Amino acid sequence: MWSKRREDELPQRSESRSPTAPTSTPQLESQRRESNFMASPNRNFEPETGSRGGPAILGKNVTVKGQIFAREDLTIDGEVEGTVECHEHRLTIGPNARVQAGLKAREIVIQGSIHGNVDATDKIDIKKEAKLVGDIKTSRIVIEDGAYFKGSIDISKPNAAAKPAAATVVTSPAVPSTQSAPPATQTAVASTGATSR
Amino acid sequence: MRFSASRGILTRAPKSEGASTTRHSSGFEQFCTMLQNSSDLSILDMSGASQANVSFITGYGHRISSDDALGTMQTCFGADFFSNQQAASNAHRFLEQTLTFPDETFDGALVWDTLQFLIPPLLEDTVAKLLRVMRPGALLLAFFNSDEKRAQVPLYNYRIQDSKTLAQTPRGGLQRAQYFNNRVLERLFERASSLKFFLTRGAQREVIVRK
Repeated sequence: MWSKRREDELPQRSESRSPTAPTSTPQLESQRRESNFMASPNRNFEPETGSRGGPAILGKNVTVKGQIFAREDLTIDGEVEGTVECHEHRLTIGPNARVQAGLKAREIVIQGSIHGNVDATDKIDIKKEAKLVGDIKTSRIVIEDGAYFKGSIDISKPNAAAKPAAATVVTSPAVPSTQSAPPATQTAVASTGATSR
Repeated sequence: MRFSASRGILTRAPKSEGASTTRHSSGFEQFCTMLQNSSDLSILDMSGASQANVSFITGYGHRISSDDALGTMQTCFGADFFSNQQAASNAHRFLEQTLTFPDETFDGALVWDTLQFLIPPLLEDTVAKLLRVMRPGALLLAFFNSDEKRAQVPLYNYRIQDSKTLAQTPRGGLQRAQYFNNRVLERLFERASSLKFFLTRGAQREVIVRK
């Protein structure tokens, strides 16, 4: 499904970026994108996956230690230790995920294991196979029977959640918490160690 | 999580077990008056997470905390459920893993039927810890099977339907540690300021304890 969308959308994007540019092969296009990214990693890195439509994915064989900031939907199916923030976007914790981190997003779907505080401005969806140890702060919550949850639930009204002040840091001595910091890139992994097994 | 007991062993119950039934609960009705008449309360639910209970409690604007006491018991005591409770290391591990909250955190605790599966020394320590995490004046609701002849008692998942009705879904059965009559319960909660008992038609002794 995604590959079909990408095929449909890629030509449109290249047209919109440089209407007068000569037609290039996919290989050349790919090389150009790579060289642009390498030349200016922080300033000119424009969101690409937004036009592609799919969420960013940290696969099940990926381990990240540090901070993750995302300006797009993000799926984590690997191991993460630190903090994850997807302001205004959806964060999915996949069934293979093992997360020891504070999470912050607009909407969070949990299928895997989390040890940390979870803060969703809109909604949290805890599936039956999920295991969550930590405190929850959200506007709406869905818990499937069979999910393991240990912690507290704070339901904040949507109006309060929309205010900037509501995006506060949830802290607990027992579990890691999120830190508020402006995202630098679309999906930035500020890690002390990111490994792929 | 679903359990059943076989020779005192705690195991998962088959999925084909009975469907949930609803019943009136005078104990919960009393508990609910506190929920309705106060705001910004902290409530502890010891049956694990459930949509119905979370929605009901947070619907009043209260905060809910979840702690699956029976799940922790299974983790700590395993197959040889009662003899493992006698080992000091296991008991210590259970107390470390359950009710890990600061003192005087909660205004109410929904303990349901979990206490009747703890043997006396550990039960007293657990109740002491439970009372410690409750604020003065806080309410505790606990259920004990009142059928004296029955060695193995049914286990339920309790889901709040409304301010006086509970849905209970069977999740197997388990041999209880002892029979709890009013006198035993009065002794168990002797540090509490008041106790109130309700007997239900389903052989349940509901107890409301005020700290």
